Amino acid sequence: MTVLDALQATLADEHVALYTYGVLGARTSQATSPVLFETLTSGYRRHRARRDQLQLMVRDAGGDPVAAEVAYDLDGALLRPPQIERAAADLEAASVEVLLALVAQSTASVREWALTEATWSAVWRLQLGQTAETWPGAPELDQA
Amino acid sequence: MPGRSLTRRTAVGVTLVSPLVATACDIDPPSRDNGSADAPPPPPEDSELVTAVVAALVRARSVVEAATLSVPDLTPLLEPVATAHAAHLGVLEGAVADADVPTPAPPRVPADRAGALTAVRRSEQRLLREVRRGCVDAASGDLARVLASMAASTAQHGAALADPAAGQEGS
Repeated sequence: MTVLDALQATLADEHVALYTYGVLGARTSQATSPVLFETLTSGYRRHRARRDQLQLMVRDAGGDPVAAEVAYDLDGALLRPPQIERAAADLEAASVEVLLALVAQSTASVREWALTEATWSAVWRLQLGQTAETWPGAPELDQA
Repeated sequence: MPGRSLTRRTAVGVTLVSPLVATACDIDPPSRDNGSADAPPPPPEDSELVTAVVAALVRARSVVEAATLSVPDLTPLLEPVATAHAAHLGVLEGAVADADVPTPAPPRVPADRAGALTAVRRSEQRLLREVRRGCVDAASGDLARVLASMAASTAQHGAALADPAAGQEGS
């Protein structure tokens, strides 16, 4: 896998993340769950900036940024705030995994950027009700 | 149209990661079977870097131990941090010669809860900087990935300790 392949895979994942955050936000009441709504809004903004940056990186690497699908399937019932919060936390966990793969495939500024974003997603999971982990994004090491 | 789900997003990550794991991972997780934490040595160009990260981990571990001794009430709060340090060291230590693992002088940690927590937080921030530096500089992509996960974990634990509610827990 080349750096460009890893960038494209990460970008494709960001398209899913943005779509998912949009759905989760739409299903969250700002009036009755203001903290969760704000957390989701902040997460959406971060991922939107991440997607934009990835599109630039793909172009810099000589690629044509992969486009988003029209829609994506979402798993499970996402109707109650705890379900929505958990789905967002799972989304961030998946982002850490994908970004760590980009870390492995890249060097210099791209690696540093991927590291920063992976760290952000890992820490953001705490905002979404999760606890600190030993090996975020590297589940095979957690089995050790 | 075939869609993608949260579960499938995870699969994407695994797909990206698994070739690295399946091929020539420089730093393998300890085996469950023999309980060994030994890892193949890193590429020569990364040896110094791994030694520096191990030294930073040993130093951070000593601060956590000192804080727990100074303020035993902090034990439940700091136990996950200590567990993470032990796991991270378990993966990296096998790649460093015993002679290169430092024995830090016992750190001075204030005897009050707030002071001890501050000392641990600063120590974790220092550790995070060292692990990040190692990740960015690593010649091996697999090692960089391990260090990136370690950095993310360290940042998580640091954020958990920085939570004001955490500072009141157990007091």
